[in-house]
Amino acid sequence: MPMWNRSLRLCFLFVGYVLVAANCGAASPQEETVQFNRDVRPLLAKHCLACHGRDETAREAELRLDIRAAALKADAIVPGDIAASQLMDRIRSKDPAHQMPPPETGDRLTDNEKNILGQWISAGAAYEVHWSFTAPLKSALPKIKGADWPLLPMDHFILHRLESSGLKPTADAERAMWLRRVSLDLTGLPPSLDEAEAFHLDRSEKAFEKVVDRLLDSNAYGEHWARMWLDLARYADTKGYEKDRHRNIWRFRDWVIAAFNNDMPYDQFTRDQLAGDLVPNRTTNQILATAFHRNTMTNDEGGTDNEEFRIAAVKDRVDTTMQVWMGLTMGCAKCHTHKYDPISLTDYYSFFAFFNQTQDADNEGPFWPTPTKTLADKISSTKALVAQLESSKQQRSEKFLNAFELWKKSINGESLWETLALAEFSSNKNVKLIQNGKGQLIAQGERPDKDTWTLTFALAKQNKKFTAVRIDYLPQATAGGEWPDANVAIRELTAELVLADGSSRKLKLKNPRASYSQRSWEIHKSIDGKAETGWGLSPKFNQPQTGIYEFDTPVSGEKLKLILEQEYGEGLLLARSRISISSQPGRWLAPVLAPDLENVFANHVFQETIEAEKKLQGAKVTLKNLESQIPKTPVMLELDPGKLRKTKVHNRGNFLDQGQTVQPSVVSLFGPLPNGVSPNRLAVAQWLVQKENPLTARVMVNRIWARLFGVGIVETEEDFGTQGLPPSHPFLLDWLAVDFRENDWSIKNLLRTIVLSRTYRQGSQITSDRLTKDPRNRLLSRGPRFRLSAEAVRDQALFVSGLLTRQIGGPSVMPPQPGGIWKSTYSGEKWKNAIGKDRYRRGIYTYRKRTSPYPAMTTFDAGSGEVCQIRRVRTNTPLQALVILNDTAFVEAAGSLAKKMETEPGSVRQKIAVGFRIVLVRDATPAELDRLVILYDSLEKKLLNQESLLRAAGRQSGDARLTTVANVLLNLDETLMKP
Amino acid sequence: MNLSLRLQKARALTRRHFFKNAGLGFGAVALQSLLSREGAGDDSGYKIPAKAKSIIYLHMAGSPSQLDLFENKPALQKLHNTQCPQEYLAGKRFAFIKGTPKMLGPQFKYRQHGKTGQWISELLPQLGKVIDDVCVLRSLNTEQFNHSPAQLFMHTGNPLLGNPSMGSWVTYGLGSENQNLPGFVVLSSGGKTPSAGKSLWGSGFLPTVYQGVQCRTDGGDPILFLSNPQGMGRKARRETLDALNDLNRFQYQTIGDPETITRIAQYELAFRMQLAVPEVMDITRESQKTLDLYGAKPGFISKAESAADPRTLYKADDPTFANNCLLARRLVENGVRFVQLYDWGWDHHGTSPGESVDETLPIKCRQIDTAIAGLLTDLKQRDMLDETLIVWGGEFGRTPMMQNNRHTELKKGFIGRDHHPHAFTMWMAGGGIKPGSFGQTDDIGYYPTENKVSVRDLQATILHQMGIDPHRFHFAYQGLDQRLIGPTQQGQVIQDILT
Repeated sequence: MPMWNRSLRLCFLFVGYVLVAANCGAASPQEETVQFNRDVRPLLAKHCLACHGRDETAREAELRLDIRAAALKADAIVPGDIAASQLMDRIRSKDPAHQMPPPETGDRLTDNEKNILGQWISAGAAYEVHWSFTAPLKSALPKIKGADWPLLPMDHFILHRLESSGLKPTADAERAMWLRRVSLDLTGLPPSLDEAEAFHLDRSEKAFEKVVDRLLDSNAYGEHWARMWLDLARYADTKGYEKDRHRNIWRFRDWVIAAFNNDMPYDQFTRDQLAGDLVPNRTTNQILATAFHRNTMTNDEGGTDNEEFRIAAVKDRVDTTMQVWMGLTMGCAKCHTHKYDPISLTDYYSFFAFFNQTQDADNEGPFWPTPTKTLADKISSTKALVAQLESSKQQRSEKFLNAFELWKKSINGESLWETLALAEFSSNKNVKLIQNGKGQLIAQGERPDKDTWTLTFALAKQNKKFTAVRIDYLPQATAGGEWPDANVAIRELTAELVLADGSSRKLKLKNPRASYSQRSWEIHKSIDGKAETGWGLSPKFNQPQTGIYEFDTPVSGEKLKLILEQEYGEGLLLARSRISISSQPGRWLAPVLAPDLENVFANHVFQETIEAEKKLQGAKVTLKNLESQIPKTPVMLELDPGKLRKTKVHNRGNFLDQGQTVQPSVVSLFGPLPNGVSPNRLAVAQWLVQKENPLTARVMVNRIWARLFGVGIVETEEDFGTQGLPPSHPFLLDWLAVDFRENDWSIKNLLRTIVLSRTYRQGSQITSDRLTKDPRNRLLSRGPRFRLSAEAVRDQALFVSGLLTRQIGGPSVMPPQPGGIWKSTYSGEKWKNAIGKDRYRRGIYTYRKRTSPYPAMTTFDAGSGEVCQIRRVRTNTPLQALVILNDTAFVEAAGSLAKKMETEPGSVRQKIAVGFRIVLVRDATPAELDRLVILYDSLEKKLLNQESLLRAAGRQSGDARLTTVANVLLNLDETLMKP
Repeated sequence: MNLSLRLQKARALTRRHFFKNAGLGFGAVALQSLLSREGAGDDSGYKIPAKAKSIIYLHMAGSPSQLDLFENKPALQKLHNTQCPQEYLAGKRFAFIKGTPKMLGPQFKYRQHGKTGQWISELLPQLGKVIDDVCVLRSLNTEQFNHSPAQLFMHTGNPLLGNPSMGSWVTYGLGSENQNLPGFVVLSSGGKTPSAGKSLWGSGFLPTVYQGVQCRTDGGDPILFLSNPQGMGRKARRETLDALNDLNRFQYQTIGDPETITRIAQYELAFRMQLAVPEVMDITRESQKTLDLYGAKPGFISKAESAADPRTLYKADDPTFANNCLLARRLVENGVRFVQLYDWGWDHHGTSPGESVDETLPIKCRQIDTAIAGLLTDLKQRDMLDETLIVWGGEFGRTPMMQNNRHTELKKGFIGRDHHPHAFTMWMAGGGIKPGSFGQTDDIGYYPTENKVSVRDLQATILHQMGIDPHRFHFAYQGLDQRLIGPTQQGQVIQDILT
């Protein structure tokens, strides 16, 4: 867009003025009469209402002019009598003390404006409700002369207005141009040559519809239109503010893509995002949708007041909700009653109250596990496998049971352990150890603080090879005795084997394991040779515990001697115990008090169950691994009923200065809440999409329109209030809005309704007549020609060059950007240029860091996701030229496009012709081809360093001159514009 | 016919054809370039006679301590190391101070400088020498006490993200004086971008063309994507642009969209920028005498600039900031409207190494003192100071108490102060600002006592000096006439400091 060209703009306003009147003529021809909404309200708003409007704190002289009765009562306006009307007297006065607006404001009415007010008062000073505050109705189609032109109802409205301004529609665009236009509009990608060929050959009635259906059915459709919604949702991959750390919220982006691809009705789409968590029988997807409002920023900067930024986030949600769904700016009512629209300070905080009850508070939580479908499927199949393996484990086969019986007999006495009989005992103090009939060892005598004991056991069968020794700790409840339960501290355990000849040798112990170890007092510390560490049991010394130590190699001998150093704390001695020994393989021995032989057999002996167990454990590891991959997304969850916040008015918007308490309620002008609902976010969502709401459908229809035609029917997409611009085609807007709602809020249907129209099919040639009468194409006297979005500029280049990776969804990626761009304070996160397929994903997947957005995108007017962006301006700047000429992504695209051209047979001219057709989906004219061939020829000799250029374009070899030609093709005005 | 003749003929043909048919549009639209001399602000009579043509705004990100640089407070010195009275703590929100901290006297010696006898600490001796050209504002106060919101408030007039920065407003209102350079240039040093990131030079709801263009001095392209791809020289680029322009002209002949003409103009501007920007960014063209005046060193790339935590790598003789000051003069000299310098590393809490008042502040001061004095001297000797407005400051001030969340006692290398929004010092020079001193604070520098200056006053004054009526200058967005100085009448031009 050239900079706000003043003369063009004025020209437009003039044309707009006349034509609004003309269009209204379809209902009641009043071209000559002054109308309140069109002519008078803007004047009052501009010059009077700031001091004589709704805002009582700013009101002067207790006069309001926004309400007819009040204005009449004060004699400001006397209907039919200009002379008696104070208002006229004041605005005409030249006396500084009397004149309005006051001279110090520097604001003055023009003569024309004064005349309009005068005419309006003469005619009776009728007030009207602002056009967008009453529900839309589907009007009859306006009468037109060129009856053969329209294809669809909307064409009637467009043609009617063209005819009344003396314009004719432009002839249909070439079919290929329409195809490129509709492909870019519906999917953000141009058509392939095959698709173009198929459409070219299909001369059937349905050819256009078939194309539209194909495009709407493609995944690329959702990827393209989700971008529009993500701008509104202020989606970004970081949290904002100083640290601006990573935020894991890409699942929401994918939810939006899927919602568009599934054509989720807009009422559901609304409900799930605003209140999916409050829907009965909510699904994971509905909770995920609420991440819409978790895209607000959180401030991790040290020393910030969390409540301050929580409230900033809630206010952002309030403002964004009203902006996105109703096209109203509530922002001003944060601090004072809206001066122009019917939203008071109390209204603001009453609406705020709905949103003030979520759990989040300037932190990332609460999170919700939101697996992708692929991951969820994998998890559920793995869970099924685990369950199946578990259940077959419960059912032992006969073969197993027989083998188990045989095995039990084969291991001596059907037991893994033998309790040892105490032969000798010595204490450094005066402790005695008594062995009872159960083989338990009970300490007696005065309990010393510290002691070292030596226990000697006879080994009954000397020919046996022993593998491990086991120490059971027993509490008083189990084994009696005098000493109360206390922790133990076995600082060091030493084992010695006494042989038949009376000689002894120290035994090396290994693989210690325990049923329980105190933190920092793990059992291995009892054999680490360090005096200051050991095995402890606190706090679980009131239940039996056990520890096992394996011998380094199996041993046999006369006696086993154990030395227990218990030299720590006060009385931390093994008050009751039992010592056992085993001759079974170490791996069979688990640190449990009652070993389960069946488990040992199943897990260590019987091959079939060993295999099954291995499989089960494997499946469990897989499951755990899969579950750890589940992305957790910040979502909205309501506080528990007992913890709900009280909402008060913030005086002048200052949260530290709170006034009266308010209850949640909606701005009643737009209809009451539905009957019988609880006043929560779900009710707000229902209120937004109920039939009585005059704005929701209009705003969405207008938004879609603006993306297709460049400007909305209401140009101020962000403001449908009294300060916004009036619609260019009010009846068309309403027709579309009602049609949208009647067709189950289907966005795909709405798009079909527009792109299959005759209006949309027009060529985009601009004649000087059209440029004069319809400079900005507000009347649609030609096709919509304007620059592609930042993402489409990138995606198109990748698509035509064949580089584009067609993978839908997933975490955001980092395509190359110049080094040194990210220098965030403290966060330490880094941009890492992707290699491989992630280098060439669609723009919607490019990582969005709020404080340092991707430069190539922002250069083309993409936002940074800091706040809700209702529409992007379209600039045309030298920095954009530099991006497409020189950015790695575009240079690589040129290289890759050149490669395609090189593989074409024939002359250079033919190769270039193919490249041209790939990019622009039309044949180059001879003049265009001539010029490109001339360029190719001129680049010989020293102008290019062929090798370097090819390397920069990601090529090993090839024709650098064709790469340069491809670079030109990607930079063409026609390439960057929707045709 | 040989190639070059064929070429010439083809071009002549297309050009002649083009101009004949272009008729409407070319002149009107191309001249409505986004970087126009006039600016694009809504014509609501906001322009007033300008005192300054351009601004160099030096922002010390993190906020330097006014008590150790400009505010000589003997009374605070007397209270040094005593418990802070409750009246300064009750009902206050601090970023980090907990409980009752101790008072912290000025850490450096003060001396009077210049004809007006202004007190300046020993850390800024060179600034002392040019202080007669400077107006020190001692009574600033802000509404924000965390870096990111306070920086946003200072530069965009709103503590939340999403609003245009001062530089965007000014270039939107006034345009640029040079058709080959961006109107709003940002230079940074200190190894990090400021806390609020690139939003500080974002254009918010204004068209993106008014966003600040960050010129980089760390060895890469001075402007992103400025260099042609490897292997493509300027002549080859010229050839491609000629072809591109010719094809675009064909397109214009078929479609007649004035936008195409604008695009041709913008590609030509890009081509000129490719030459003009590296030229203006090349400080080797300066004399040794000038380099010495600033303490600049061409080609120097500091290790701190690419470090994960640059703070412990700061060296007193690091010339990065000095180089940026010299660049600022060159940019302004070439007609750039708004040059914004950010120097990071001024957040001296005393909790971690490299961020103390006693050790880090002196290093940071050495990095800027000669550079800033050099800039003022240089502008003056070139007769540019009168038409260039210099602004220096942080986003808030520092507390008269020591920060006590990590260290409760004074410890060498860890003496620090917390954020202090109630009173702090900034200074302005040139651009129609009367040298001297304005505003006062109480004995310990806690509150302003005289001529309190709000951030909005400062913004109003800056716009005013640039020839913009801050109250009338607006952009309609979201139902409000948005202004840099916010919706209320709070911001007023500080008439007393104007010449």
